Amino acid sequence: MLNSKAQSCYQCGKCTSICPMRRVSKTSPRNSIYNSNIYGLETKDIWTCLTCGLCPQECPQQVDFLSFIKQEREGKTPLDIAHLGVFTELAELSSRLNGNTKMEKTDSKYGFFPGCVDSLSLFLHDVKTDFGEITTSSLKLLDKIGIKPRMVQMKCCGHDMLWQGKKDVFDRLKNDNTKYLKESGIDTLITSCAECYRTLSKDYDLGIKVVHISELMDKLGLKINSEVTYHDPCRLGRHMGVYDAPRRALTANGAKLKEMEHSKENALCCGVSSFMNCNEQTKALRIARMDEAAATGAKTLITTCSKCLAHFNCLKNEKDTAKKYDLDVVDLTVFLARQLEAGK
Amino acid sequence: MSAEVAAEIPKGNGWEPNILAFCCNWCSYAGADLAGVSRFQYPPTVRILRVMCSSRVEPAFILKALKDGADGVLVAGCHIGDCHYIDGNKNAEIRINNTKKALAKLGLDGRLRLEWISASEGLRFSEVIRDFTEEIKKLGENPVKEVKK
Repeated sequence: MLNSKAQSCYQCGKCTSICPMRRVSKTSPRNSIYNSNIYGLETKDIWTCLTCGLCPQECPQQVDFLSFIKQEREGKTPLDIAHLGVFTELAELSSRLNGNTKMEKTDSKYGFFPGCVDSLSLFLHDVKTDFGEITTSSLKLLDKIGIKPRMVQMKCCGHDMLWQGKKDVFDRLKNDNTKYLKESGIDTLITSCAECYRTLSKDYDLGIKVVHISELMDKLGLKINSEVTYHDPCRLGRHMGVYDAPRRALTANGAKLKEMEHSKENALCCGVSSFMNCNEQTKALRIARMDEAAATGAKTLITTCSKCLAHFNCLKNEKDTAKKYDLDVVDLTVFLARQLEAGK
Repeated sequence: MSAEVAAEIPKGNGWEPNILAFCCNWCSYAGADLAGVSRFQYPPTVRILRVMCSSRVEPAFILKALKDGADGVLVAGCHIGDCHYIDGNKNAEIRINNTKKALAKLGLDGRLRLEWISASEGLRFSEVIRDFTEEIKKLGENPVKEVKK
């Protein structure tokens, strides 16, 4: 409670007025702080929160709502986990196994962590997205700028576990991963996932540099000749403050960037975070975001988070939707690598 | 695994495999029944759970069973083409194969098996259980670590 400064909340309600969930449900960040501060009650709202990070930007008292939510959720049972909790079970199972401690024997100082793209493509096969392409594309692009990283085979970073309130599982994963990275002798860890980037740099104490791949992509020297629009994932944007790097990666390589109505700090959320609350309400948020993307007139929607990618593609490929979107939703690395291949 | 199923597991010094079998209602469960009434012998290492179709078995169930200490998981359904729900078992095949890949990455390969057993194959049911038990015995105990709650 003390770290989040929730006790200094004076109930102005600015957080509730900006909350994206408030547009579609009765979720109220103000109310959840009120109930917790005054009565010590747990409300449903702490589970419907998207942890998108919009409300702390508005708060006049600078309450850190994200740490408040993290603390409130700790040790409690989540209200609703999507996909029957298969990713939660997988992470819990891997946290209790010794795991794969193999390490490539090269002296590269760079490490590359692909995140959970493997399990996404295994268990989300009806989304019709090749998540593995994110990894192959990233490696191609890194090769182009002269970085030959070692593949880091550590366990899941534990992002979802942390936000689902399973702190004990997260701590086990964190210990194992920290030990693995210390032994590996890597000094820069590159990741292609916005969530891993947030978790490894903010929730771990690694002592090594963690870089998101979009921060390295501006010197590719490609000549892209198409209009694109960019969706800021909450983990990369508001959580980490990386707004310009992915935009530079696109514009420096010649793409024409068309901004959506809400972008950068005010970007709308894709609607689901840490695989919680995939329902009709959050689907409405996804539709709102896709509408904004379609309104720019660009034919490609680019994002840097594999979860955002999955959720938009899931909406796009739904059988009985009222609207059909003529948009390609791709990851930044996949887009750049395809352009690289086409330019050869 | 529910508390009831867990309570049935014998706890002694001699380790015996502990296998959870998901059997579909229309073929494999009837096959297990036939094995029973025909008195085909098979090792008592298996706990059978009846599901309506093999495609009812979500990857999450399998992962949870392994996490809670099952040494092996068997998913049994109707032969391809015989599914009561037309193509349920085809979906099951995709799911189980994907789950096998995920388990191989965790170092738990060989602990999940998918078998097609029809209602008239009581003998085959007992053979599958015997074979799988032998395989799990070779693999040894589930390496999942206990954690304090």
